[in-house]
Amino acid sequence: MNYEDPELLDRLAAEYALGTLRGPARRRFERLCARSEVARHVLYRWEDHWSYLSRALPAVQPSARVWLNVSRQLFGEVVPAPRVSRWRTWQVAAAASLVAIALIVGLIMRQAALPPLQPLVVLGTDSAHPVWRLERRQPLTALSIEVVGPVPPAAGKSYELWALPHGGAPVSLGLLPAAGNAERKLSKSQRAALLAAEKVAVSVEPLGGSPTGSPTGPIVIVTNVPAPG
Amino acid sequence: MSRAQVEQPTHRPVNEPDGAELEALLSRCAAGDRSALETLYTRVAPILLAVLMRILRRRDAAEDALQDVFVSVWQRARQFDPIRGRALAWLVSMARYRAIDMQRAARPAVALNEVSALEPQLQSEGPLDASEMLGAGALLVRCLEQIAAPQRHCLMLAYHEGLTHSEIARAVNEPLGTVKSWVRRSLLALRKCLES
Repeated sequence: MNYEDPELLDRLAAEYALGTLRGPARRRFERLCARSEVARHVLYRWEDHWSYLSRALPAVQPSARVWLNVSRQLFGEVVPAPRVSRWRTWQVAAAASLVAIALIVGLIMRQAALPPLQPLVVLGTDSAHPVWRLERRQPLTALSIEVVGPVPPAAGKSYELWALPHGGAPVSLGLLPAAGNAERKLSKSQRAALLAAEKVAVSVEPLGGSPTGSPTGPIVIVTNVPAPG
Repeated sequence: MSRAQVEQPTHRPVNEPDGAELEALLSRCAAGDRSALETLYTRVAPILLAVLMRILRRRDAAEDALQDVFVSVWQRARQFDPIRGRALAWLVSMARYRAIDMQRAARPAVALNEVSALEPQLQSEGPLDASEMLGAGALLVRCLEQIAAPQRHCLMLAYHEGLTHSEIARAVNEPLGTVKSWVRRSLLALRKCLES
């Protein structure tokens, strides 16, 4: 084909962007764009035009696993989100299990942040070794998680946080970061599970989290959470 | 079409991310800033998932595609040419092309006979309401409105549902040759209108 024919080039670009150019013709056009700036620019113009139709679609929230998989695939861990608040004081309030002791946090001073954070729980291997500090957004839309102590090594594994709703099955609240801090948006069902939970738990799972949606590995921490305020 | 109109719209549809912010995030991704990718994800993943679900029709397949897209965004952020503008168009295109490449395997074959039932949905979802868009978006809508409804419907089936020429032909119950020439002529008319 004579790709220098502007009419032809425009038609190919339009059908490529529309999606009707398929099979070997689609691949040929991709190779042409890789070497021809003119072809790329004709394509960009169509992409720009068509994209306005996509913007009018109602947005769909992805489930939590997508971001977890992206960050695991690219970085091998969950990327910490920018931290927006800082603790000044917190006090130990209680609670233990056979393997772990959790510290329930009482008081927090916040720097300006929207919506505000409230302490939820500190998860640790024992009272002297806190590992993750959890705060909840108020209203409950997300959890903010900060690594505050050494995370016990677990090669090729992830730590996963679970809400244990009274009388119900565990609901995953996502993976716990290995370093830094992270903000976990909660879905409607995660929010409901956490509000109904008397305890949260941490299990050791395959990298990226439980493949089944339920804890599959050893539970290393179980602890009470305060009733929602 | 005026470039200034495109880059500085007087308003954006609800939830439309700010183009300049997306471009800044992409350049931070290109520089290796992981938090920029997370922010970019929160801004555009729901838009891209909507696009992917229309084409792939299954949430699991669409979410797999979304994951691939964001991995590619990170790896190819350096290739994004700010001169071309409109980061969202780049991201939407990347998502659509990924879905098109995946769709043969992922899409249930039985769904084809349901496609014609999607037409009212396409219209109610409002891509053809010019009053909601300004600048280049409104221009596209005005130009699409000048195309006869059956031909325009074929374009929408291709764009939103990711249908091939033969799938469109079956969905609208017209010969393949007719659909191919409708698409070709519609695109030609569209280009003339967009350039006028």
